[in-house]
Parts: sequence; C-alpha cells; structure tokens
Amino acid sequence: MDEILKIAPLEERIYRHRCVEAWSIVVPWIGFSFSNLVKLVEPTPKAQFVAFQSYYDSGQMPQGRWAGINFPYVEGLRLDEAMNPLTLLSVGMYGETLPNQDGAPVRMVIPWKYGFKSIKSLVKIKFQKNMPPTTWNLAASNEYGFYSNVNPNVDHPRWSQAKERRLGEIFKRATLMFNGYGDQVASLYNGMDLKKNY
Amino acid sequence: MRALLTSKWTKVVVFLLCLIPLGGLVWRGFHNGLGANPVEYIQLTTGDWILRFLVLTLCITPFRKLFNLPDLIRFRRMLGLFAFFYLCLHFLTYLGPDQSFDLGGMWKDVAKRPFITVGFLGFLLLLPLALTSTAGWIRRLGGKRWQALHRAIYFAAIAGVIHYYWKVKSDVRMPLFYGALVATLLLWRLGDWFRKRREGASVKLAPQRMPANPAQ
Repeated sequence: MDEILKIAPLEERIYRHRCVEAWSIVVPWIGFSFSNLVKLVEPTPKAQFVAFQSYYDSGQMPQGRWAGINFPYVEGLRLDEAMNPLTLLSVGMYGETLPNQDGAPVRMVIPWKYGFKSIKSLVKIKFQKNMPPTTWNLAASNEYGFYSNVNPNVDHPRWSQAKERRLGEIFKRATLMFNGYGDQVASLYNGMDLKKNY
Repeated sequence: MRALLTSKWTKVVVFLLCLIPLGGLVWRGFHNGLGANPVEYIQLTTGDWILRFLVLTLCITPFRKLFNLPDLIRFRRMLGLFAFFYLCLHFLTYLGPDQSFDLGGMWKDVAKRPFITVGFLGFLLLLPLALTSTAGWIRRLGGKRWQALHRAIYFAAIAGVIHYYWKVKSDVRMPLFYGALVATLLLWRLGDWFRKRREGASVKLAPQRMPANPAQ
C-alpha cells in the first residue's frame, strides 16, 4: 500500500458518478490518474487491454453466493481508456481513506462510464492482448456491454437511461452523454457505433 | 375464536395494523430514515406491501375452508383494499418522481418496458375491483358476476410477481418466494374447483339412479 501511495501525488477529484440503475451522485475522490501506474509498469506494445479483479473471500462474504453474479468481480478497460487522465486510481473519498463498502483500499473510478465499471477493492491488475471478460457482461450480455459508457440515447432493456435521479432530489434530471465528460473522452470512440458497443 | 373474529373491535385493530407500513414510511421520512435514495426506498417498500396484502387477501378463502373459520370473510375486502391503497402510493411514486407527472412519457414507458407493462396491467386489473368493492356493487352486478369479476385478483397477483421478478438486477430469491406463495394459493383453488366439480357431478347422477331402486 505504501508503494502505491508513492506512485504519484494524491489529488482530490470531484466527479459525477452515474449508476446504471439511473441514480447519480457527486463524489470528491482522492487518488491519482491511473496512467501514472501504467507508465511505471511499462506494458509491452502487445498489451491492448487492462483486466482488473476484486478481492473475494467466500468465508468472509457468505452472501456472495446469492448475488446472482460470479465472484471474484472482474472488470476491464481498453488501454487507451485506462490511459485517459480522467481514469482515476482512488484510495479515498470525502477527505478520508476509502470505507470498506466503497472499495477499500484501492479502487478504480471511471467517471464517464456506468458505476459498475469502477471496480472496487482491487487485488489484481493485468495488462493483456485480448479484451477481458467483465462480471456484469457475463451475467447478462444483452444488458451490460464491455464499454458501458454513460449514454442517454441507449436504454437499458428494462429501463430508460435518458434521465437520472441525483440522490437527494425528488424529480429526475437529464443524463448527459459520457456523463458530461464528452470533451475529454468522446475522441476515444471515434467511428464506433455506440449503439452496438454499449 | 369466533367471538374474536366477529367482534367489531377486531376489524378496527386489523385496520390500524394495516396502516403500520404507511406509518413506518412517514416516521422514517421525518427521521431521515429513508436512506440515500428515498424515492426508491418508498417504491420498494410499497411494492413489497402490495404483494403481502395480495397474498393475505388470497389466503382468506383457503383459510376459511381449511380451518373452518368462515368469519374470516369480514377481513377480505379490507385487505384487498389495502393492497390497492399501497398500489396507489406505488403508482404515484412512479408517475410523479420517475415520470414528472408527464402522462405522454408514462405511456411510452409503459408500452416500451415489459416490467412496467406487466406492473401497469396489475394496476388496471385491481382498479375495477377496488371500485366495485362495495355492497351496492355486489347487488348491482349480482353475486355470480361480481365473483367472476373479482377473480381478476388472481391475474393481478401473477402480474405483481412477474413485475418484481423482471425488476431485480440479479438476486431473485424474494420474487421467487412471493411467486411460490401465490402459486400455492392459486393451485389450492384449482384443486378445490376440481373437487367441487367431481362432487357436483355425482350429486347430479344420484337422482337418476334413485328411481331405479324399488326400495325408495
């Protein structure tokens, strides 16, 4: 942990967080750009993707078998997505270290994607050639794609993604393309059909 | 037991008990107890209580017969109407906070999303039952027709279970639990119907045989 904290100076980033289930919140995270870690690791040119894995202990987490998804939780990013300066490796929030339920001790925060992409409690990061499997995609591939960028024009099969409820508010507000981070990330997806690559 | 079931005070007590879920929500509302997403909390809580009251309502007839407690009938209408009451709250949290009272948007959502469609269908099925729940309507429709209409509760309960099953993200234990309860209660009715039909058939046969018996 001490070594992770030495990779780069910690900074506070205030991001919008949009859950795939249509609620949202603004969170002051603490961490540094994931790209700092990538530069340190120096992956070979063969590495096109990053695969992440969460901590899982069935003895300590007995409810896991009822969750309807397989554990350990796994996620992934394309290397250029992981290198984007917005992609954060986070160790804290609200000025404190991360609480367990928010992904202690280290988690990812990818603010232009639905919340489930921001994998918590990391134990393994792997640079690889092929697109890694991701937990929710394995559970329901028609509902959750690999990219899962926030997109008000592509509805979840069971509910609309056009609006979201900011926690603490009664009525819903419009959801923004890429959760409002289009200026920084839209170029990653030039020429891609985001209706197909949801 | 009979005295307890027929007392007018029991009805008052049951009525007050049925208001506890609403009281709980109001209390939590004033004590910051509705969690981070209060609208969702109210939707999930009222949704749970709709299914519970539907199951309780469907329990009345089997319990009357199985435990020989005919007076339970006094509570059936109240329980059914409380299911509808919590359904109205459930529907209002959808129409208001979710759809911003925009009826056009609501219709599109109802048409587009199967889990909303089937939930809305349950609402449409229970609406006429609530409206015709009075003694006056039983008289106007006639007992037979009224009873036939009120069998719509079977389909409303099935719709409610499907709505819940399609809504959850992955853990289907609770929807399956309610599904099993509703299935048991409906299968009991099916069994009862077959039993009555068999008995009815033998009763009809009996008079034909009787004249053939010279000892009569």
